[in-house]
Amino acid sequence: KGDYYQYLAKFKCGDERKEAADQSMKTYQNNTPESIQPISMQTFTSMMNEILNPSTPKSTVSSIFKTLIHSLLHSPESHHSQILKLIADLSSHHPSLAQLALDSLQSMLPQLTDPPSQLTIEYLDALVNISERPVEVDDSLFTSICLAASFPVRLWMVRNSGCRVMVRPELLYPVLMGMTKEPYPCLREEALEALVRLGECAVFEEVSLVKGCYERGVQLLSDNEDCVRISAVRVVALWGLMLASFNVDTKTYWSNEVFAMLCSVVRDMNMKVRVEVFNGLGKMEIVSKELLMQSLSKRVLVLDQSPTEQFVLLASNVAGALVHGVEDEFFEVRKSVCQSLRTLTVLSVEFAHAALNLLMDVLNDYKVEVRFQALETMHHMAINHCLELQENYMHKFLDVLEDNSSEVRFSARKIVRLMKLRNHLLFKSTMDVLLKNLDSYPQDEADIFSVLSHLGRNHKQFVDLIANEIADEVEASFEGNREFNSARMAALLVLSISAPFLNADVCPIPPVIFSFAATFLSRICCAFSDVMNRDTLLEYLIQKSSSMVQPEVNISNGEGQNPLAKDDVQNVAGNEMIHSEITINNGEGQLPLSKYNVQNVALEMKPPNDVGQHKRPVHDSVVLTYINYILVKLPNIWPKVQSCSANEVLCSLRHWKEELTSLTFDSSAPADASAFALLYLKIIKLVVEVWDHLVRKTEVVSGTVELEDKLEKLDGRAKELMNRFIGFSAEEEISVLELILLTYTLRLCRSEICSRNFIFKRMTIIYLRTESFLKLRSDVASGFVAELGSLIRESSNGGASCSSLAFDNCLKLFSPKRLMIREGIRHRRAELSIPNNCPDYPLPFAPGLTASIPCDITIHNISSNCRAWVRMCINDGFTQHVYLDLQSFEVSGEVRKISYAVPYYRTPELDSFNLKVCIGLESLFENVTPVQAHGGPKCELVLLCEEKIVYLSRVL
Amino acid sequence: MAIETLVLGAGQEVGKSCVVVNINGKRIMFDCGMHMGVSDHRRYPNFSLISPTGDFDTALSCIIITHLYCINTLFLRFHYFLIIKISHSLILYSYIFFFGIICDSHLDHLGALVYFTEVCGFHGPIYMTVLIYSTVRWVEPNKHCHLNSICTINIPKQGNHHVHSIHSHQLSKTIRIIACIFLYPTKALAPLMLEDYRKVLVERRGEEEQFNSDHIAECMKKVIAVDLRQTIQVDKDLQIRAYYAGHFTLFEYLTLILKVLGAAMFHAKVGDSEMVYTGDYNMTPDRHLGAAQIDRLRLDLLITESTYGTTIRDSKYAREREFLDAVHKCVSAGGKVLIPTFGLGRAQELCILMDDYWERMNLKVPIYFSAGLTKQANVYYKMLINWTSQKIKDSYPTNNAFDFKNVCKYERSVLDTPGPCVLFASPGMISGGLSLEVFKRWAPFENTLVALPGYCLPGTVGHVLMSKPPKIELDPNTKIDVRCQVHQLAFSPHTDSKGIMDLIKFLSPKHVILVHGEKPKMVSLKEKIHSEMGIPCYHPANNETVSVPSTVYVKAQASDAFMERCLKPNFKLHKCSSQELSIKTLTDKNIVPELQVINEKAVFIVEDKSKKLKVVHNDEVLVMLGEKKTED
Repeated sequence: KGDYYQYLAKFKCGDERKEAADQSMKTYQNNTPESIQPISMQTFTSMMNEILNPSTPKSTVSSIFKTLIHSLLHSPESHHSQILKLIADLSSHHPSLAQLALDSLQSMLPQLTDPPSQLTIEYLDALVNISERPVEVDDSLFTSICLAASFPVRLWMVRNSGCRVMVRPELLYPVLMGMTKEPYPCLREEALEALVRLGECAVFEEVSLVKGCYERGVQLLSDNEDCVRISAVRVVALWGLMLASFNVDTKTYWSNEVFAMLCSVVRDMNMKVRVEVFNGLGKMEIVSKELLMQSLSKRVLVLDQSPTEQFVLLASNVAGALVHGVEDEFFEVRKSVCQSLRTLTVLSVEFAHAALNLLMDVLNDYKVEVRFQALETMHHMAINHCLELQENYMHKFLDVLEDNSSEVRFSARKIVRLMKLRNHLLFKSTMDVLLKNLDSYPQDEADIFSVLSHLGRNHKQFVDLIANEIADEVEASFEGNREFNSARMAALLVLSISAPFLNADVCPIPPVIFSFAATFLSRICCAFSDVMNRDTLLEYLIQKSSSMVQPEVNISNGEGQNPLAKDDVQNVAGNEMIHSEITINNGEGQLPLSKYNVQNVALEMKPPNDVGQHKRPVHDSVVLTYINYILVKLPNIWPKVQSCSANEVLCSLRHWKEELTSLTFDSSAPADASAFALLYLKIIKLVVEVWDHLVRKTEVVSGTVELEDKLEKLDGRAKELMNRFIGFSAEEEISVLELILLTYTLRLCRSEICSRNFIFKRMTIIYLRTESFLKLRSDVASGFVAELGSLIRESSNGGASCSSLAFDNCLKLFSPKRLMIREGIRHRRAELSIPNNCPDYPLPFAPGLTASIPCDITIHNISSNCRAWVRMCINDGFTQHVYLDLQSFEVSGEVRKISYAVPYYRTPELDSFNLKVCIGLESLFENVTPVQAHGGPKCELVLLCEEKIVYLSRVL
Repeated sequence: MAIETLVLGAGQEVGKSCVVVNINGKRIMFDCGMHMGVSDHRRYPNFSLISPTGDFDTALSCIIITHLYCINTLFLRFHYFLIIKISHSLILYSYIFFFGIICDSHLDHLGALVYFTEVCGFHGPIYMTVLIYSTVRWVEPNKHCHLNSICTINIPKQGNHHVHSIHSHQLSKTIRIIACIFLYPTKALAPLMLEDYRKVLVERRGEEEQFNSDHIAECMKKVIAVDLRQTIQVDKDLQIRAYYAGHFTLFEYLTLILKVLGAAMFHAKVGDSEMVYTGDYNMTPDRHLGAAQIDRLRLDLLITESTYGTTIRDSKYAREREFLDAVHKCVSAGGKVLIPTFGLGRAQELCILMDDYWERMNLKVPIYFSAGLTKQANVYYKMLINWTSQKIKDSYPTNNAFDFKNVCKYERSVLDTPGPCVLFASPGMISGGLSLEVFKRWAPFENTLVALPGYCLPGTVGHVLMSKPPKIELDPNTKIDVRCQVHQLAFSPHTDSKGIMDLIKFLSPKHVILVHGEKPKMVSLKEKIHSEMGIPCYHPANNETVSVPSTVYVKAQASDAFMERCLKPNFKLHKCSSQELSIKTLTDKNIVPELQVINEKAVFIVEDKSKKLKVVHNDEVLVMLGEKKTED
């Protein structure tokens, strides 16, 4: 109390102040609680000012707070509301005191509850305002308030229950249900609103509860008060859906009921009720097709098949509901209808077609909002593949593209992007409208270009038809024969260059178009921003435009060695190696190294370059042992793969891979070996993943693309394994071959695979090779290989006859061999560097003339009879190959080096461009199909190094 | 107690609407129409059934006319009036046509009014909806100069030579009549129409005069104006209220000429019984007029028209779309579009439609309005904003929807100006005037489009045109090659059976009576209402009486304890399992303080010694029973 007077003293001035200070003193001394006067209005105002003033010292604030709390206890009730308001303000401005305020108010609350009055509500209101979280109210308080005689008290409670005041749902539900019978409309309304909130957050397990609430809502749909009906519609929509979702079997039935119930109030005289109805309809999850169709026709439909009993009952309620909505006088309703169509059209394709007719009418609406919403709905339909614009609609739709509201135009164009036009005429008119649009709305240029690029990409065949017209027009205007309309030109160029985009095959777009397009680069690059950035677009354009120079410039492929002969040579080499095979007899006991040790060793070896050459053999052997240690484990994990615990396997594989990569070497044998092991592991990992996919067929549906991707990767890796390593022992060779056979088998296991015969052919080749190896070593073929062999022999005329099931059987027999590698393995690789080239210092070139690219090339472990190429390509397009004469290399052991100026012939008419350069080796294993018809490598290239980017710029 | 409905007219027929309802002792006559199809005594309702003695003043409490007089009509009238004075050949046709309209659409609902009030002698109040009062206010400040201002509306904007050649005495008459409209909307319009009718009957048909001009004037003095949603206490018990009923016309072929703005539905309440008489109404909104609007009421009886009791109309949006497409196609090909239309109503709708479309599509092709009348109509729509649709209300404060942005005034030079254009020209059936003149010039060109926005009477060029002949012979000397395209815009604005059903469903009255429709249609609609909504429905013939029970509330005293309990919600809460809860929710009921809802669980009605009903709470019952026992 001392505080109290002290505080009062601060605010009262003059005599009053003095008096208050005295009183304060007195109170401190006497400590008599009764002697407190009520706070005057003036004091309230000054307190308010203090609270709102952010510079008020903290101590003052807290003393104000204490005073307020104190006076709350001792002043008459008429003052309480003001005090409470002050407390609420205070705690919102000074959050540090909020908790304290909360606690003290909460402690006072119980005294006030009996009987509940306006004051109780004021307390609760203050509590709710102070607290950021919903306030929990105990059951007895809640019920006593809800049953209070005073109407405003009840109203407050119902209004806040479920949002700001937390009550147990079990209690809240019956109270609210009771409240829906209140004579006061606003109480009924609030009770229904509270039920909506309750339905949104609480979960009810009892069907009868939900049903009870739904039925109550249905009853109140015919309430006399508009506001009650609005809330009742919401209750019906929400609880009806809840009811429907209770049981899967009756879901359709109940959804139909709810749908019809909502439709029956669609002709309500109150606009808000109608809006709410359509909002509710937009939430439907499932409605039978007949009812949906019925909602589009004012007449009761006569169905072909005998209608269900339910349909007969509901049809007249539903009839024409959506049509009425679309014809409504208020745009809010019309907009809401369009919105609800968004979800409804997804439910039935037939309905979507019929509803489209309605939407086309809406496109004539005078309100921008409604038109926009209609288009958004159509866009949504297009995304869901249920939009089919027929020709008669197209005409109307194209009108919309010229709408004077930019929102509507953008929305319409969004649909054009997704459209698949049926015929050439439609395409032409769409294009014309867009071009016209460009004139009338120049501000939309970027968007129109983007649409045109989509249009071109989606309708390549139509673009092809008009390609020449466009080319003529473009050329004419570029040469000044025609009036130059830059926007139109740019648009035409966008359209034509987008057509061959992502379509690799040759198209009739004249290359000159691409070079014209390049001049508009900055203007049109946004049209392709969804797929490529400016630089890549430029490269694409350059590449396409450069194809106008015929690819005659291909480099002579030198002596043109017969690949078959090469293959023989290789085989011979293999044989020789087999003879020199040193059998290593290594049992388990020879691998005593624990993982720990190996890691230690690996750590020791970390700075390998500093360690002198003499130390290497020691390390080499350690590393080799370690690699072998890992490889030996592989067969052990195989049973796990077969038993579908792929994740576990993958985990350990990943672990080993990490360990292997932590060992880094310069060019030395162990490095080669570890590179091999790493690749081997990668393949195994992919095999495991693919295996997992194939075995658990249920997931195949979801992961088809992923699987395809993995198989592709696997194929690539297998090729790499075969081509980039030499010096295998026979045993190693067989293991590798078996692994490759496995990858093919996996591919063939998928019945839906397309190039079956081709793969089968390649597999046969590998198999024959394996067989010859086995024969040489007079080894017995593993079960897997033997089975595969018999399969291949059976279907000598191609793999098509073999069922994927047979391959499946083979797979089961497979188990990886224990693989021990020796030092003999050599990794074929190359290093490529282009000196003095970076984006800031590009190489010079003159368009049309050959550019030379100085390359420093180092290749490892490649004998001079291999055929190596330099591959240069402009971004994912045209590729040029240059033959590398290995003879001309400077040889030092297994390493060959050369500094060679690689010529690049097709320099484009551009200021600058990028080349991707890399070195590849012709793969001699699988020359089943020739890769390129004219010039260049005869077989597939296996890349030996990373691609390097070369920057070139025009000589000025 | 019962509500007795005596159908004097429009029972199982169309025409002479007249229904007398006796509701809790009050007798109200709804509409007082005359049948235009017959000329004998059957033309008027048989008023003697109301009171055989002819003492109508005591027999009837009031008359309610559901129709507002149509301003459009008046202006049409002027139009033709003017033409009459100028080109003689047109007089007859136009004149007849004009009267046809009046007779059919309006006198149907009030034609017999003067006869009834003056000849039969009814002196009670007559209620009608009127123009909004602001209309009057709009003119009032200019009271002294209104004559001039009206002239300026009428004459200079007319824009053609017809007006200028009016003789002075005719001009003054014109002005006088217009002034009447501004100052006394209801009283001015009705007598004019009736006067016209009287003249037609007497002068043209040569029939016996049934009432004279003085009668009309007298009758109009009894008319009391009712605004929309205005509640009027006729006497202590009777209370009436008008609701907006949308727009409609009676006959399809008239719709292109006339639209009755703002007919009203009337709600009447006597004591506890309530009923609604709809007159004609429309449930589907239009571009310029909204749909009917009414509150949800607790009705004992609904008397509804049923002209289109079996028709279900499809969305007119598709037709509008076709129309716009046709017009757009034509103008984008450089062609001219001729839309023959009457100056009002339909023209407004098309005008809104096209103006929107032009706005949206950024079309720059000019749209011309030929008749100055159309411009005047717009002036009237501006005043009648309360009666129009939401769209127009929305845009009213900023730009009046009738201030069409893309519409400009027609000038004669337009006719020969090359290039595309759209022209609204009157009259609607290409029967003469500007539309015929334009048609003669444009029809031979292939890229011209003639859009007929409605029905054309046989014998007019418009009617011939619909069959798309290669040549039209106007008279022996004039033949027109017709190479133009013709687009017909089907049009039907009347409420259909779906609308009737929707209204009934929304109001959910206890009984429905169908009037103003053909018998077979009424029967089928009746069956439908009965089977689908379970509401008893009647379709009495003329001079039949239908009696339906009415709601009467019994007055009872309520004890204090009961009142106290009523103020609190009295459902009890148990902490119980969810299953019990669900049972509880079904049985749980609380008392509503209105007495008619009696919850047997909590309330007992006791008849005490003074034979007065008393409502008490069940707690009290025990006490009272105990008292009785002791008494016994």
